[in-house]
Amino acid sequence: MISMAASSLEITLVGVSTVFHHRRRGDITAVKNLDLHIHPGEFLTLLGASGCGKTTTLRMIAGFQPPSSGQIRFGGEDVTHLAANQRDIGFVFQNYALFPHLSVFENVAYGLRVKRRSTSDIESSVAQGLRQVGLQGLGDRMISELSGGQQQRVALARAIAIKPRVLLFDEPLSNLDAQLRVQMRGEIARLQKELAITTVYVTHDQEEAMAISDRIAIMNEGQIVQIGKAEELYQRPVSPFVAGFLGNTNMIRGRVVAMQADRATLDIAGYRWTLVTTAPVKIGDMCDAVVRPEALVLTRDGDGLKGVVESRVYLGAKAEYLVRVGDQVFQVVQWNPVAGELFKAGQGVCVTLPAAGVQLLGAHISSDRSLD
Amino acid sequence: MTPGPGMVGGAAAARPRRLMRTAGLSVIWLVLLLFIVYPLLILLSRAFFDGGHLTFDALFATLKSPSSLRALGNSLLLALMVGVVGTLVGLLFAFTVDRARLGSRTARLIDALTFLPLISPPFTTSIAFVFSFGPRGLITHDLLGLKNAQMYGLTSTFAAETLTYFPIAYLALRPMLASISSNFEEASFSLGGSRWHAFRTVTLPLIIPALANAFLLLFGCSLADFATPLILAGSDFSVLPTEAYLQITGMFDLKSGAILSLLLLVPAGLVFYAQERFVAGRSYVTVTGKAATATERNSVSSSARIALLTFCILTVALILYFYALLFYASVVLAFGANYTLTLEHYRVIFTEGLPAIKDTLFVAAVGMPLGGLYGILVGYLVGRTKFVGRRAMELISMLNYALPGTIVGIAYLLAFNDKPLALTGTATILIACYIFRYSPTGIRTTIALLQQIDKILEEDSASLRANSFVTFRRVMLPLILPAFFAGLGVVFIRSMTAISATIFLVSINWSLITVKILENMTEVALGPAAAFSVFVIVVVLVVTGLLNTVLRRMTAPSLRVSRIGT
Repeated sequence: MISMAASSLEITLVGVSTVFHHRRRGDITAVKNLDLHIHPGEFLTLLGASGCGKTTTLRMIAGFQPPSSGQIRFGGEDVTHLAANQRDIGFVFQNYALFPHLSVFENVAYGLRVKRRSTSDIESSVAQGLRQVGLQGLGDRMISELSGGQQQRVALARAIAIKPRVLLFDEPLSNLDAQLRVQMRGEIARLQKELAITTVYVTHDQEEAMAISDRIAIMNEGQIVQIGKAEELYQRPVSPFVAGFLGNTNMIRGRVVAMQADRATLDIAGYRWTLVTTAPVKIGDMCDAVVRPEALVLTRDGDGLKGVVESRVYLGAKAEYLVRVGDQVFQVVQWNPVAGELFKAGQGVCVTLPAAGVQLLGAHISSDRSLD
Repeated sequence: MTPGPGMVGGAAAARPRRLMRTAGLSVIWLVLLLFIVYPLLILLSRAFFDGGHLTFDALFATLKSPSSLRALGNSLLLALMVGVVGTLVGLLFAFTVDRARLGSRTARLIDALTFLPLISPPFTTSIAFVFSFGPRGLITHDLLGLKNAQMYGLTSTFAAETLTYFPIAYLALRPMLASISSNFEEASFSLGGSRWHAFRTVTLPLIIPALANAFLLLFGCSLADFATPLILAGSDFSVLPTEAYLQITGMFDLKSGAILSLLLLVPAGLVFYAQERFVAGRSYVTVTGKAATATERNSVSSSARIALLTFCILTVALILYFYALLFYASVVLAFGANYTLTLEHYRVIFTEGLPAIKDTLFVAAVGMPLGGLYGILVGYLVGRTKFVGRRAMELISMLNYALPGTIVGIAYLLAFNDKPLALTGTATILIACYIFRYSPTGIRTTIALLQQIDKILEEDSASLRANSFVTFRRVMLPLILPAFFAGLGVVFIRSMTAISATIFLVSINWSLITVKILENMTEVALGPAAAFSVFVIVVVLVVTGLLNTVLRRMTAPSLRVSRIGT
């Protein structure tokens, strides 16, 4: 029942910055001149390591924290200086922040009571909210009587009960165990699509981000370094940072020795590698090719880079290798290893490079190689 | 015997240690029975036994007397008012300091100034009240030009007690507020609630147990307060502690005094019951010792912030004004009449008053180490070892602390007046009174620290148990020192400032500064009273400052207990 409601709202951040004053360390810029456009009904995830500014960005969208400069718009409305309680948002906290002195019912009803809805309206809205998160019949419980997963659901029900214009999540799953995390993220994604509420979700978990989001914005040092769908970020990272942050990767360094139409040929320690690319490189450039471990193929011998297996980890569904080629070490993943040949540490192997689907990063950033 | 670290030794070492423990236990039991149980039994028998028969005639007679009933009613009314208003003021202070985005310096200043009433002699606020609002008061007489202002009664007693005791509520409430995550308020904001709505529906309900606790604390303090009503209540507004005192010292009616003091037990017992039954363990918030969140709170609007700050600054200014007034009164010839600067009053207290100063310092100096030692000894036995009657020992050791001072004082007076234990008129009785009344803080701190130490040692128990004697000497002893110093501090402060119990125990041979202040007040020798008060405050500040410095030097940061004296 996807109802792409007309109420879905776009969120726009223009040149938003936040500066914190720290007593000892002076001014700290948590978010730097950030531009972000979130489409109506979209599920956008801010992904980054701790301290990258993702939570600060979310809190500015919520109105918990004013930006030092810049503008935040909900649709056409400038909400930059609007208090949180005027913004019509639903916020799910990392620690849930459920009111411990209130029952499940009263927690979910809280926002409706603020809005002075009628008793019957509140009862039906709370019942619907609890049903949507699968907690029907638990309204009378106290918060302390619930499991972590159930508390998470109450937090979700409380946030959506007021039918907010925007849903905001601050690492909501980080207090749950792995199995529950996978289950809950599926439910959050389903509910979001059902309600078609524009959603911003903050996490540091790349798998969670990829599983749940329409688009992901990867943040680093207060800035968005790349934004796009999961597959775009994974396949065409714009920088070694993004390549390294989303999944494991090899940065294979070589010099461009030939260009022809949509192909480039790289010299890697004497080996010539021709691949399809649209990257604006020219002959003589030093490049880093982003090659995912599962895109490399190991063979006993053949045409490819000659290397030596340094280590092997056998994991059943896959085998992970570290292979030394000259002065570089490649990570290689071999899926379904029983179908092929398992290699041993110390064994000489041939690494075959893919001819397409490889992202080339230009010479100007090639100094950063220490990524995996 | 618990197999805890420090207790486990070789078989050879265990026997003398067990012997020592048994000896220690016997000594502790002996002094507990002698100085806590025995006096209370004597008090009860004096009140309810006549010629060897149990009789409640005297009790009924007291209950029938209008003056006693009035005193009981007044005590309850006063305690209720102080409890409610003091808690409210404490809440405003706690909320302002924790939520109104104060600089750390402002917060520290407010902390320091609210600390003042807690370490001052009980008369301080009352004396300043007289200076300010009395017939020749700075405000009533000099500023408003009132002739013969009537300040004695409920209002001024209530105001002075509230000002004296609200810091207790502040200290109880502030950590509670600080440990509430800012997310609760933000959750309320995100659901459309205003700041006021968030405060009303979230913050306030979350601290209700703490508020109840603060109220009960203040209620108990006011109920037991002797000094403030003695000076400010006047003849028309009698309360139980002063009434009991007058019965004994004025009418020499020990029996009525004993029964009046026992009337205090009823509300005091109710308070204790309420605390155990309704407050303990009912908290939604747990105080972890650190602030709940690093993000800045947005709990108050800028206008509310200004209002709160104004209130706190005015209150703090009032406290400061009273202390300044006290100091001023101590350096002018005759407050209210002749404002010529003079050191005459200090000359008086250091000549005529010198015996009282010497006696007080002697009692405090002897009581301090004994009390500190007694505190960690009982704390160690109760918190660390198992023996029959352990729980009873814990309860009994707390009794004199929990009971109003008037009861303890009268009990001591009755118990130690005659042979075989004729201690009345000696320094021993004063010291004993202070030790057993004010060491429970040290006992509590010791027990709490031992629990913390257990946790630390559990993490590393294997390696530490290997050599338990070294563990005890190198680890336990330094860790337990804060409790010792906390015990020292409290016993010292109270020895310098308390009066409600010891007023019954002083004699020609042994007097105390607080009693001298009271004498000065009744003789309208306001100058020396003020000078004595200033002297006590300075001594207490210096000694607690020294103790705190030593304590800071000696303790691991993770085990720091709250400041001495609080």
